[in-house]
Order: sequence, then structure tokens, then C-alpha cells
Amino acid sequence: MDVTDEATQEQQERQARLEVEALSQLDALYRTALRLSRNPQDAEDLVQETYLNAFRALDRFEEGTNLRAWLFRILNNAFISQYRRRKRRPSDSIENVTEYYLYDHLAESGVGPKQENPERDVLSRIGDDAVLAALEELPVEFRQVELLADIEGFSYREIAEILDIPIGTVMSRLYRARRRLQKLLWDEAREAGYGVNANA
Amino acid sequence: MFDCKECEERLYTYLDRELDEAEQREVQMHLDHCPPCVERFRFEGNVLQLIGSIGRKNGCPEETRKRILRACGKEALI
Repeated sequence: MDVTDEATQEQQERQARLEVEALSQLDALYRTALRLSRNPQDAEDLVQETYLNAFRALDRFEEGTNLRAWLFRILNNAFISQYRRRKRRPSDSIENVTEYYLYDHLAESGVGPKQENPERDVLSRIGDDAVLAALEELPVEFRQVELLADIEGFSYREIAEILDIPIGTVMSRLYRARRRLQKLLWDEAREAGYGVNANA
Repeated sequence: MFDCKECEERLYTYLDRELDEAEQREVQMHLDHCPPCVERFRFEGNVLQLIGSIGRKNGCPEETRKRILRACGKEALI
């Protein structure tokens, strides 16, 4: 085997190794794509596009840097292109939601924080599907940071790199996303009967 | 030492472990002496954890996974 063959073989092995590592993120990429696009077909297209783009660019990927964050960056870019092509409605304006929104409302309802683990109780009463629906109701800029931070566990710095925005913007969007989510969850909790008996 | 309001402003950066060490310590010192703030921080931290675990329950359906792998020319991995 001459030097060129060896280099080619090394290159192929590297590509194969990175592909396997990239494909280990398929579940995480798919669930993020699904919550972003709110549509299984669009999610599948986004993940497929993410991998096709990633595999084409793997020779330029610097091994040892954050492959997972790099894949989520490609996914989010693909999503934004898809989103703009479809010209969906712009983000809603954000009403002012106070600190401890859910906590305070549970307390006011008389059924909340006095009991042990009220958050577990209220979220299980709301149900997983309604929690996921609430996530999907967030305006897109907030949904992106919420999914990356609270579902996928990325740090502020990683999110800033994935979305190509300043860390301060990550923090303010995440703050507002969580407040908005709490309001949506409280609305769901009310629908599920929370606080109704206490006020009756 | 931070007061309740100052801690409240740092609620998420504290829970996300994104505060610098000095501020993390300040918040912790306040929490050591303020049961109402402990209760609120615990509640908020648990809400975030529960949302995270609900959000991570589902992955990619098997048929979708196969189609994606095929489209990427990775049939061998099916």
C-alpha cells in the first residue's frame, strides 16, 4: 500500500467514524425538528437535509470540536430556510408574564405549592401531549432556544453558536420562552380543572 | 449577600449553572437562609426538569429512520 492509498483509507475511516457518531444524534435531531416544524413530514425532510449537508461537509469538520452542536446548527439553519420559504406568521408579541408565574398561580388557586411536588402533579394532570403542544405554541425564536436548552441540554454558549446570536440574546429569549411556557401550562392546568374547585 | 429580588433575577442562570462562581455562591448563601426562595427555586428547577424529560421521551419512528438512512445512502446501517 503506498502513501496515497493509506491517506485515502484514513480519510474513509474518519468519514465512517464521524458518520456513525453523527447518526447517533438522529433521535434528538428528529424530535427537535418535529417540535420546530410541527409536522412529521417536514421534520423528516429537515433531518434528511441536515444529514446530507453534514455528510457532504464532514471533511471540513474539525474533529474534537462539538459535532452535536454542529449538527443542531445545520438543522436550525435548514429549519429557518424552510420556515421563511413558507412565510408562516411572524412571532406573536409577548405579554408581560411575571416571575414564578406558574408557582404563584398554583398558590393562588389554593391547590398548589402547599402540597408536596405540586409541579409533578400539575404536569402529569396536564399530560405529556399538552406539554408538547405548549412547547410548539411558543413563537419560533423562543421555541428554538427552549428546545436547545431545556430538552437537549445545550449551554448558553453552545446555543449562541448554533443559532449565531449573542449570548445575551440567548438568555433573554430563554427567559421569555420559559415565562411564556409557564403561562401556556397554567392555561392547560386550568383546562384540566386546576384551581376550579378551590374557587368554587 | 443577595436579597430575594436579586436572587429572583438570577433564578434561571443559577438553575442553568451559568452564573460565575462568585454569584453562584451569593445565591447559594441567600438560599441557605430563605426557605420561601428555596421553595420557589426548587419548584422552577423541577418544572424545567419535567419539561425536559417529557420532551426527550420520543425519538425518531423506526420507519422514518429507515427512510432517512436510505435517502442518505446509508442503507447498510438499517
